[in-house]
Amino acid sequence: MVTMKFLPDMYVNRCIACKGCEAACKTQNKTPENIRRIRVVTFNKGEPNETNIPMPCLHCTDPPCLHVCPVNVIYKREDGVVLLNKEGCIGCGYCLFACPFGAPQFEQLGAFGTKGKMDKCTFCVEPYEQRDNQGKLIKREPKPRCSLFCAAETLLAGDVKAISEKMRQRQGSTIFRSGGAAKTFLTF
Amino acid sequence: MGGYSRFSELRFSRRSFLKASAAATAGVLLGGYVTRDSSARLFEPVNAQEAESGTKLIKTICIFCAVGCGVKARVENGVLTGLEPWDENPINGGRMCCKGASIPSSVVNDRRLKSPMIKEGGKWRKVSWDGALTAIAKKMKDIREKYGPDAVFFAGSAHVTNEAAYLQRKFMAFWGSNNIDHQARICHSTTVAGLGNTWGYGAQTNNFNDMRHARCILFLSNPAEAHPVSFRHIYAAKRRGAILITADPRYSRTAAQSDLWLPMRSGTDIPLILGMANWILTNNWHDEEFINQRTNGFKYVKKVVEQYPPETAAEITGVSAEKIKEAARLMAQNQPSTIQYAMGATQHEVGTNNIRSFAILQLLLGNAGQVGGGVNAFRGHDNVQGATDLAVLANTLPSYYGLSDGAWKHWSKVWGVDYNWMVSRFASKDFMNKKGFTMSRWRDGVLAELELGQPSPIKMAFLWGHSTPSQAGMAIVKKAYETLEMLVIVDPYVENAAALADKEDGIVLLPASTTWESDGTVTASPRQVQWRNKVLDPLYDSKPDVIILLELAEKLAEVDDPGWKDFGKNYSKIPEDIYDKEIRVGARAIGMRQSTWRLKRQQEYDFAFDTETLRATGGPVHGEYWGLPWPCWNDEHPGTPILYRNDVPVADGGHDFRARWGTEAPDGTSLLSAIGGHPELNPDGTPGPGWKLDLTTEYRRLIAANKVPYGRGRARFWAWNLPDPVPVHREPLWTPRPDLAGKYPAYEDKVYGVHFRVKTKARSIQEAFINTRLYEKYPLIWTSGRQVEHQGGGSMTRSNPILSELQPEMYVEIHPRDAHDRGIRDGDMVWVSSPRGTEYGLTIAKAYVKARVTRGIRQGTVFMPFHWGGVFQGESYVRRYPKDTAPLVVGESANIIAPPGWDATTQMQTTKSGMCEVSKERPAE
Repeated sequence: MVTMKFLPDMYVNRCIACKGCEAACKTQNKTPENIRRIRVVTFNKGEPNETNIPMPCLHCTDPPCLHVCPVNVIYKREDGVVLLNKEGCIGCGYCLFACPFGAPQFEQLGAFGTKGKMDKCTFCVEPYEQRDNQGKLIKREPKPRCSLFCAAETLLAGDVKAISEKMRQRQGSTIFRSGGAAKTFLTF
Repeated sequence: MGGYSRFSELRFSRRSFLKASAAATAGVLLGGYVTRDSSARLFEPVNAQEAESGTKLIKTICIFCAVGCGVKARVENGVLTGLEPWDENPINGGRMCCKGASIPSSVVNDRRLKSPMIKEGGKWRKVSWDGALTAIAKKMKDIREKYGPDAVFFAGSAHVTNEAAYLQRKFMAFWGSNNIDHQARICHSTTVAGLGNTWGYGAQTNNFNDMRHARCILFLSNPAEAHPVSFRHIYAAKRRGAILITADPRYSRTAAQSDLWLPMRSGTDIPLILGMANWILTNNWHDEEFINQRTNGFKYVKKVVEQYPPETAAEITGVSAEKIKEAARLMAQNQPSTIQYAMGATQHEVGTNNIRSFAILQLLLGNAGQVGGGVNAFRGHDNVQGATDLAVLANTLPSYYGLSDGAWKHWSKVWGVDYNWMVSRFASKDFMNKKGFTMSRWRDGVLAELELGQPSPIKMAFLWGHSTPSQAGMAIVKKAYETLEMLVIVDPYVENAAALADKEDGIVLLPASTTWESDGTVTASPRQVQWRNKVLDPLYDSKPDVIILLELAEKLAEVDDPGWKDFGKNYSKIPEDIYDKEIRVGARAIGMRQSTWRLKRQQEYDFAFDTETLRATGGPVHGEYWGLPWPCWNDEHPGTPILYRNDVPVADGGHDFRARWGTEAPDGTSLLSAIGGHPELNPDGTPGPGWKLDLTTEYRRLIAANKVPYGRGRARFWAWNLPDPVPVHREPLWTPRPDLAGKYPAYEDKVYGVHFRVKTKARSIQEAFINTRLYEKYPLIWTSGRQVEHQGGGSMTRSNPILSELQPEMYVEIHPRDAHDRGIRDGDMVWVSSPRGTEYGLTIAKAYVKARVTRGIRQGTVFMPFHWGGVFQGESYVRRYPKDTAPLVVGESANIIAPPGWDATTQMQTTKSGMCEVSKERPAE
């Protein structure tokens, strides 16, 4: 059993906001303007504790968006990836209400300024509205390009066990620091 | 758990996705995506499947900065559909920043120039390639007859392959003028002069991967934004305990990840470094053995350093003495330590001295020629190192041979042309040995308002892959464009110049392919040469740069001189022959002797290379270093990843400081290393310059004897041939501290004289600025830099829908204190102005941009990114672009504000320390 997760490293390989993840997502999934399946957020800009975090959909174990969807189009796969069946989506935006991370995206292209159908991170299993020649949505293996391309190696993705293993290795390797340089980072 | 039951009954009954997830599950059990190896292995079956379905994954190199990231382009039936990580590339391990990760949108883009165009009578007209090239060749001939060959200026490019860059230089040699230059002049020319004059070669000494071994890194630029992928190595160093120090007027993204921030005033790098050096000498932290054995002129440096105690440095730089002392201690007590820098240090009128001061600090600490040490100059464009080595430059022939008769004879021999014919191409033999106009001043050659070093002004110019927004003093550049008789712009996109110039006639646009549409080699910042595979056939009606140059030469053979027939005679296989038959044969002074088949073989055996050392284990590439960094003496040599290591044999990539200035300094001290020192050698082992002039030797005899062809010399603390033999502080020309300008004045005008063919001044500009009290009218320090989303002049990145969505804005960063004093709030549109251009009778320079109020900048300094164009002094010129070719996002060009300063050695422009005022009201004329 695997459980797909994202984990931005907040301690060692911290995000430098190069936005490689955002561009890789757009290149891979061909999402239109305004659809940001992943976004780098920065807080305390210009302050000593300036921090960037890449924010994709976190593919919750118990996803609130799934619970509130009035037409039950949001579902979770066996491997933990949260997806939706766009055909049935009514664009109400209730999922956006429920999501603690602002992950659901709306294109805002509908008539009279309506939101359009919801779109979200699919762990790269579904490009944006792309269909094969039989009209079926194209499905690919879960291989999130944001994580694969992440320049600072901040954003980890994959089976939660493998991620936690990687984080342990990273933090563990810092034990070998020497010569009074043990501080992860100083504030000043 | 109501939610759970609901989700299992409702969602898991769908067969369509069960099938998909089953396949995924099998793969994921191998270990997730989190490590390089597992992700590569995990998708092998998938990749194989895709290959069967007609999908090709082509290994190639990113087209933006000089980190040299590799990526696999996914091509389905000839269409570029996306990217996959090239995990085995040891430089980036498959990682990309936003520019690299969106290359498909930069290459395949509807806003590209689709066919050659000519502007006539104010209208853009499509023409055939033949028509356009004929028109250009005829005009060139016409100019030669009326004004002589020096009336043509050629701006080449750092964004082309090595082969194209080399042909650009050869093209102007065949034409008979040294008026050729490119981005490196306004980028790292001071690195070449600064490092070259210290220890022999002017290039990044170590490499990105090697920074993993550093225990302290001093940043003088902002690699987190300008070279993001290098951070994977910097973080590796940090995980092992390295201390990061950032010296920058901005609290940059690099500073945010650093342990210590030194918020220095722009233009005070030298006192900062000398202040640190002073504290190092005071505490005896310097490496005496290293200094005695491998350097020359320590006593001169000591005398200068003694004048800059940390307190004095603090007074000049604005960084507290405690921080300077702490930085010095960290650098000295966490060795090996390295210095990293980029434009923030090079783009000053004292750029060469800035860079020399970094090298001096590393020599004092014994960090030069060490793993994890050295001076890491991060270069900006994908092939700027290659274009510099192959000399798209006004002051040298390829491989830094200079412009002497010997140099011309050497290259005439390589090209297989008669030296006397070469002489006949020039206006006179004098002009053959005389440096040409540079990128930073060629506009003065057009306007001819100052004393020039040639009889005729420039009448025709090529902009071959060079941008306009990166040139300082944009209003003057605009005027120069408008004065030219013909402006030829060769670019995949329509460069700003085509629209900026308010000109009815005489602009020719040629659509070059991007570098993903042809094969070629590309040199990353650490001298690593990589083979860049062609991904696509040239799109639209574009052609690769090499082909355009060869075709233009054919046209010139018809209208100008039959000698042009020899231009491409050696090339039966393009581009390999250009490299193997000429570059490899001639570029001996830097040992750029990699064969293309070795580069291709490295690409095939990429998995054999180690990320830590860049060295291959096993296979046919066993022992080679990635990219065969020059000097790479012959086909058995592994390349030299770290310059000046004398602790490994020459055959293993060792060598020593270059014995470039003879065996004895003017004061009689030795310039040969105390450890096996010897002068430069002939191939037979006798002293002499034969190593760089013999066209056949493979250096086997010298390498077997562990001799370095160019000698084993000493690094120079004391560079007696430079205006300042030891760097000293000099106040910027436009200074906010007139009180310091008396003690630390700019160079006297006579240091320059007629410099690179144009009269250049410094001291009188500084005095005029102070005497007219302009520092009161323009009290804010102005500096410029990069945005991660854009590159260079931005024609390409600002046309890319992904990047223009990620960063749609030009802005000025300003401290809340400065902003609020002026009634400016975050997001307000403001005017940034400076007195630049008034000396040419123009109005004051101004830019209308959005204010970004942030504490992340030193109070009293403002920052503007320089990638923008499309708006000139508040007015859009988008309408002057040919239909549907204007970039998606436009903004003011920052460099219009830059001060009139130029480096005394290389004529680098000053674009990092100017003065300006920011106001909500449009400034009065």
